[in-house]
Amino acid sequence: MLHIIVCIKQVPMVSELPWDSKTGTLKREAAQGMMDPSARRALEAALQIKTGMGQNQAHIIAVSMGPPMAEEILYEAKALGADQGVLLTDPCMAGADTCMTAFILGKFITGHCPDAGLVLCGSMSSDSETAQVGPQLAEVLDIPAIGYARRLELVGNCIRVERHVDDFMELMEMDLPGLVTIDHAGESDLYTPRYVALGGVETAFKAGDVRLMDGAALGLDKNFNALTSSPTKIIDVYSPVTGKENRVLTGAVKKMVDTLFDDYGKIISSAMGKDLKTHDHEGDV
Amino acid sequence: MDFNPCMKHQLIRKTVQEFAENEIRPRAAEMDKGPGFPEDLMEKMKPLHYFGLQAPAHLGGAGLDSTSYAIVVEEISRVSAALGLCITVHNSVGIYPILRFGTRAQQQQFVPPMAAGESIGAFCLTEANAGSDAGGVETVARKTDHGFVLNGTKIFVTNGGICGTILVFAVSDTVPSRSSVFIVENHTPGFSVGEIEDLCGMRANPVASLFFEDCAIPADHCLGTMGQGLKIGLSALDTGRIGIAAQALGIAQAAFDESVSYAKARQQFKQPISRFQTIQNYLADMAVQIDASRLLLYRAAACKDSGRPFSSEAAMAKLHCSTTARMVTNLAVQIHGGYGYSREYDVERYFRDAKVTEIYEGTSEIQRMVIARDILTRPT
Repeated sequence: MLHIIVCIKQVPMVSELPWDSKTGTLKREAAQGMMDPSARRALEAALQIKTGMGQNQAHIIAVSMGPPMAEEILYEAKALGADQGVLLTDPCMAGADTCMTAFILGKFITGHCPDAGLVLCGSMSSDSETAQVGPQLAEVLDIPAIGYARRLELVGNCIRVERHVDDFMELMEMDLPGLVTIDHAGESDLYTPRYVALGGVETAFKAGDVRLMDGAALGLDKNFNALTSSPTKIIDVYSPVTGKENRVLTGAVKKMVDTLFDDYGKIISSAMGKDLKTHDHEGDV
Repeated sequence: MDFNPCMKHQLIRKTVQEFAENEIRPRAAEMDKGPGFPEDLMEKMKPLHYFGLQAPAHLGGAGLDSTSYAIVVEEISRVSAALGLCITVHNSVGIYPILRFGTRAQQQQFVPPMAAGESIGAFCLTEANAGSDAGGVETVARKTDHGFVLNGTKIFVTNGGICGTILVFAVSDTVPSRSSVFIVENHTPGFSVGEIEDLCGMRANPVASLFFEDCAIPADHCLGTMGQGLKIGLSALDTGRIGIAAQALGIAQAAFDESVSYAKARQQFKQPISRFQTIQNYLADMAVQIDASRLLLYRAAACKDSGRPFSSEAAMAKLHCSTTARMVTNLAVQIHGGYGYSREYDVERYFRDAKVTEIYEGTSEIQRMVIARDILTRPT
């Protein structure tokens, strides 16, 4: 029996959220949440591995850390086919950076899933895009990790991983237990997530067995505070404002080109990395 | 009293929205040129239980509650009301009467292929001289040694062109004073489909006349007991009204959403038209009616789920949702101006689709009758 842990995260459905200037974290409650698209691809990979192994050969546990509202994505994971859903939720976990998130997820896996053979994560979440939790979790668990996988295949007690880096396709094998992050936007549609079947939602809620675990259940110190324990401090979050000055050149073509070069030649030259005035155009094709 | 949707209903809505936005929206305008639904789209919907919304899991359905059902129909209709119509009619007046009145054998024979989407349901009450007057049915079912032989013509049958399992209201010679309901399969000799109606709206749905000429069916294809037609019909329509209310609400919501974004984007007199008080008043009126519709609809669905009577509640929801759909789509076209009258903009389709929600599954006048009857027969 292969025990697969899929780490999933709830992200806001909108692209821009207000943030809390005191904590430097996003005000996630201001928007509807959804399962992070990259994590959903990781769950899809787990479901395909399970299907490929045959009945009762694999067991999928979806785990998330987040506020109580994140319970929804665990029901969604169960609706999609995960065997178990676990939400790690406690006010003391609020404000965790990637390092503390990995620490808390690691506490759960070491303490409650000692048989975990394969840990899958999305390569990066759509709201913070750090791509750090997966590798950091592997460090916490002291297991090998491969990031940005396109395709997985179980070979004995190894996992064969295909990933696309620059213009190369890499094929690697890694002993299990190990951790793999699934590419967040692969060109291949192998792990394009399936749609949720309505009967799956009904069954998941009827069972109603998503497990909620607080800090005490995980064995965290009673004074643990993820925000103050996080080594990363966000100083500021803002949308960059780019000032654009638009100018429409008019008149005869020669006049327009002359004006362009006279007024903007230096900017264009610096952007192109060569001096337009001295460049010999005769050699150009 | 909690007005917030529960987590399950939120997830159901997101689930349907994701499918509808990705798979249906890109094709909705093309589908409107109809009739018929793309085969590959229907194939994608089948394993996701869209054709067995409330059928129990052991018969291949999703086993959803009525509020979830209303949410599904609302969200599909927000993108394509004609497909929402197919879904709601199939599930509510197609499958539901078999679940409610059918024998165990009938449920096991007819429901699994329907819930799998392999056999689409249709409900045949309306005839040339019957509709709001359900007692005017002239289709006859003659008793024979082996079962019944049906003769008659049904008109304006939703899903008519694609139906597989058909509930037919007919008067039998054994109980001539009251109608009965018979289950006819589309491969039965003597059954045929007429021309697809050229309708104002819901153009993707192949609404058609259905002909029954010496259509012989086995005796065990009678639904419920002989003469129970009116009871089955009214019960089916109570459920159907929740679906049509949800459909109308989906159309209204779609028209409203388009209107809000258009009003923010459309510039006149060097400012977005949303800055004008007239447009703001329109949007406020639309929002109030949509919200009231949604509350009435969910109350009716909750009544049904709790086992309480819901006939009047469903009629109120259907009446208000359909009136809202007409009013909101009309204002949506008005806000869009000339563009709203063009087929390039979706509000034109919503405007055409909305009207019929005041007509089918009981006209608004019939809904008022149902509501008034309930008021006047309450114990004082």
